[in-house]
Amino acid sequence: MLKKILVVAAATSLLALSACGDDSSSGTSSGSGSAPAASKLIVIITPSPDNVFFKAEQDAAAAQAKKLGYETLVLSHDDDPTKQSQEIDTAISRKAAAIILDNAGADASVTAIQRAKDASIPTFLIDREINKTGVAVAQIVSNNAQGAGLGGTEFAKLMGNKGEYAELTGKPTDTNAGVRSQGYHGVLDQYPDLKMVAQQSANWDQAEALQKTQTILQAHPNIKGIIAGNDTMALGAWAAVQAAKKDIIVTGFDGSPDVVASILKNGIKATVLQPASKISEMAVDQADAYIKAGGKTDQPEKQSVDCVLVNPDNAKSVSNFAVAS
Amino acid sequence: MSFLEARGVSKNYGGVRALKDVTFTAYRGKVNVLVGENGAGKSTLMKILSGSEQPSSGEIVLDGEPVVLGSPRAAQALGIGIIHQELSLFPNLSIAENMFAGRELRRAGRFVDAAAQKRRTREVLGRLGQDRLDPDTLVGDLPIGQQQLVEIGRALLEDVRVLIMDEPTSALSNHEVDVLFEVMADLRSQDVTVIYISHKLDEFRRIGDWVTVFRDGALVAHESMDKTDTGWIVRQMVGRDPDSLYVRNSSPVGEILLDVRGLRVPGTVRVDDVSLTVRAGEVVGIYGLMGAGRTELMETLMGMRKAAAGEVKIKGRLEGYGTVQARMAAGLALVPEDRQRDGLVQTMSVRDNILLATVARFTRAGLLSGGAEQRTAEAKVRELAIRMPGLAATVTALSGGNQQKVVLARALLTEPVVLLLDEPTRGIDVGAKAQIAALMAELAARGFGVLFISSELAEVIAMADRVLVMARGRITAEFTAQNVTEEALVTASASDSVLEATP
Amino acid sequence: MTDTHVAAPRKTAGAPEPDAPRNQALARAALLLLRGRTLVVLVILILIFSAISSEYLTQSNLILMTKHVAINAILAIGVTFVILTGGIDLSVGSIAGLASMVAGGLLFKGLNMPGGTVFFSVAVVIVLGIAVGALVGALNGVLITRFKVAPFIATLGMLYVARGLAQLHSNGGTYPDLAGSAARGNEGFHFIGVDSLLGIPVAVWIMVLVAVAAIVVTTKTPFGRRIFAVGGNERAAVLSGIRVNRVKIAVYVISGACAALAGLLLTSELGAAYPDTATTYELNAIAAAVLGGTALAGGRGTIIGTVMGAFVIGFLSDGLVLVGVSTFWQSVVKGAVIVFAVITEQAQQRLQSGLTKRTA
Repeated sequence: MLKKILVVAAATSLLALSACGDDSSSGTSSGSGSAPAASKLIVIITPSPDNVFFKAEQDAAAAQAKKLGYETLVLSHDDDPTKQSQEIDTAISRKAAAIILDNAGADASVTAIQRAKDASIPTFLIDREINKTGVAVAQIVSNNAQGAGLGGTEFAKLMGNKGEYAELTGKPTDTNAGVRSQGYHGVLDQYPDLKMVAQQSANWDQAEALQKTQTILQAHPNIKGIIAGNDTMALGAWAAVQAAKKDIIVTGFDGSPDVVASILKNGIKATVLQPASKISEMAVDQADAYIKAGGKTDQPEKQSVDCVLVNPDNAKSVSNFAVAS
Repeated sequence: MSFLEARGVSKNYGGVRALKDVTFTAYRGKVNVLVGENGAGKSTLMKILSGSEQPSSGEIVLDGEPVVLGSPRAAQALGIGIIHQELSLFPNLSIAENMFAGRELRRAGRFVDAAAQKRRTREVLGRLGQDRLDPDTLVGDLPIGQQQLVEIGRALLEDVRVLIMDEPTSALSNHEVDVLFEVMADLRSQDVTVIYISHKLDEFRRIGDWVTVFRDGALVAHESMDKTDTGWIVRQMVGRDPDSLYVRNSSPVGEILLDVRGLRVPGTVRVDDVSLTVRAGEVVGIYGLMGAGRTELMETLMGMRKAAAGEVKIKGRLEGYGTVQARMAAGLALVPEDRQRDGLVQTMSVRDNILLATVARFTRAGLLSGGAEQRTAEAKVRELAIRMPGLAATVTALSGGNQQKVVLARALLTEPVVLLLDEPTRGIDVGAKAQIAALMAELAARGFGVLFISSELAEVIAMADRVLVMARGRITAEFTAQNVTEEALVTASASDSVLEATP
Repeated sequence: MTDTHVAAPRKTAGAPEPDAPRNQALARAALLLLRGRTLVVLVILILIFSAISSEYLTQSNLILMTKHVAINAILAIGVTFVILTGGIDLSVGSIAGLASMVAGGLLFKGLNMPGGTVFFSVAVVIVLGIAVGALVGALNGVLITRFKVAPFIATLGMLYVARGLAQLHSNGGTYPDLAGSAARGNEGFHFIGVDSLLGIPVAVWIMVLVAVAAIVVTTKTPFGRRIFAVGGNERAAVLSGIRVNRVKIAVYVISGACAALAGLLLTSELGAAYPDTATTYELNAIAAAVLGGTALAGGRGTIIGTVMGAFVIGFLSDGLVLVGVSTFWQSVVKGAVIVFAVITEQAQQRLQSGLTKRTA
């Protein structure tokens, strides 16, 4: 008996310790337990909110939906198409009015979205496209190619158009990883004196970016700059640069608060902000219009929203994936 | 008439000769018994006769024709089946599925014909006198004796002319042995040649027609069973006189060391109101059938099972915790029945196995002292005459008897006052048996109390000062060395009516 | 026990075949090579990579790679304790993540107490982080011993629970700045992950300390002997008076504490704590133990082998990055090396048992 009490006590104290200093609520679903009327539920599905970017995406979509009088169900698929498919089934069974989706794979997501469409539930894609049109009602994405162009241009400028650099790319199976890398190279490859000496995938991960950067710096001590495919990898690379006590230019992509803070402290030099909040709000607005119009939309399916470069000049006015105008 | 013959067969493993120019004859429609100590070469010869090993020289003759047994399949095709000492059944499959495992009957060339398999299984079970067994029963649910019969049934499915049985009774109860012997007699009358390997002298004399004795890789004797007696066989096996086999303890008896009152343990095999005493200098035997609750009694005394009621006093002091540690500290030590399962840590060296229970003693400032460990282990090895390649060798490299001594050494190091031994001579050869018996007598002479379990009548009668008989969890009779007889033991172990006879 | 095996030792007097000694010598040499196979593989790796890149075999790169190895080695040492008892710990990556978040939260936000927010010194934070790991390990141990949950299942469950707690801790967010401040009295967390002593990273010193302690415990203490006994034959251990449940709980506590320590080193190096820290690291740790010759069935293995295994994995991964091999090929090569190592382990067992039988 005493042992059992000890176990319970241990578990409780563990939870208490792990929740220390955390005052925000952890619930993500604001939908009620019973199935609501068909027209009042918007299901929001994104990758894991571990990444502040997706967190901002979720929060903005949920806030906008509530403002327009909808109930919301917020789910995360952790970049697993199977889990995403199950969550879309949940949306179908709860007769959602619309799905806002940051999808888990350009090809792997098509069937699930088609299933929603067959059940007369419109899907509005945000952040990432799929490789098929006519399935989702809208595909609203930030213009990654344009953004990468901005990032590449800024990086080249910071480098003075010459010198050795390394690139950290994202998860190789992610479309955006390829789009951003191509966008960077569309600019950087025009400068013959800019020489890429290493290119490694760090799978969007901070610790992996740290270790790989350390190894790359070992192999190529003359590197002057590191261009990363997202902000978490830029943070990892920056930690490696600091540990090596070197003066190396690091840039990222996403516009996350941590990197913006680093820019303000003269650490990371630049990032490209994806207007995540704006995209989420656009998607909810269009879903609302679509529902009210009885299943019609006056917007084209493919829409892209331009990214904004963030550097020390404008970093102060950035908050939560939006630049105050 | 000779049916299967090995002529001048030798077998070398590396530089070692396991069989030396052996000429062995098995007669048609007879039970041909093979005996010999562990390592005498019996199993090697059987592996050759069943095709799983090839002889280094010599030839095999079947029914007058020289044959080559290149594989177990080839031997099976010629009608030679073998039943191994360890069962090779799948406990999670049914009897029928086990019988046809690996050679399923097919329907339309593809699908398993379960109906036909069950039909054939029923036929075979009938032949074994097991008509009432359902072919769909899971083998794991059967008692070990019936599992053995399933194994035999598997061999009978083929048109078997020679059936080799390698110690099939080592795990069987007396009743199950009787059933097995009936089956063997039946096979014999069907003109099947049976080759039967056994350690159990009293058993094989009942069924065997011919006996062949192996020693040190050579065939030393071959005789018709009715021309031999037990003494002759043992002399051939060990090369000396059997009278020295068991040493009787004759030391004076002292104070009561172990006093058990009203011990009860619930369970499928239960211990029911057992009371007993063991005195200093006394060797007490417990005889009984499998499932009588003897092992459960020992394990409860040692603290491995929880007793529901009853008390255990050791040297007059009540031991109430009932954990292994407490009982060990109080002065009990158990040498378990199944060495491989409960006794040895197979991954460890001889030395570490010997010291396992007492390792905390050999520390200096919390760290193990290799020197003290080595000295202690060496002393025990000398004391018990353990034969081994070295203290650092893995314990599995030792023979069964020496492994048993390793477990015994570990138990003795805990400095017990009463030593509990569960079937101490099971599965070890005659020579080692004699050594273990002598050790038990010597321990008693040094003032230990010894409580041991045995299923062998001859052994328990020869070794014990007092014999307790257990049946269905109770002690049903008690005999002294003077008034014990085989008949009385068997009666007390089998009968329920003697329950009241407990003193 | 079959006749042949016992027969052989008695027959040493019998005439051996003429070429037997030479064969035996060859077999012994092969066995020696196989026993040291992790070292052999490591040497081969170093030779290959230094032939490709002149940067590989430099002092600074060796130090860096060893630092990378340190985290996995510490995780793997903890896991080795568990595997030696015949168990498995799949939760170490998640425990590392949880400890990372707990420490990160304490440094970044402090602990909300009734009297206001409290900040602890770095030393206390480290102790608390490790204590959290030990506590989760103890929970694993209790689940396995008291509630008889299979180790694979219990620690698989804990893999999710601990990761979930790590995410709950910050509601999914990252604690970006762990530098602390003089005012709060919690500066200096970078010491364990970033700083160096005598030119060697502190993380490497910590690995050496952990490894030496683990070697002493496994080979020189009664507790170590009991770990091997429990893994080799649990029933025999019970009968020898060993408190098997205590031993088991202890190894999971050790594993949890090692995992937490590894998580803290990683977090210190990164200067940030995020909930996905050390995701899937448990697989690398188990791979290192297996590469180093630890038998998953329990009862067989060495700490030094595990550390060598971690070196092989780390030097291989870093080498592949250094020479610019793509991520996909990195996975393929790593997997192939692990499987190859286990195949050689089997060969060693066979050869070893063959030799003992013949020379007995």
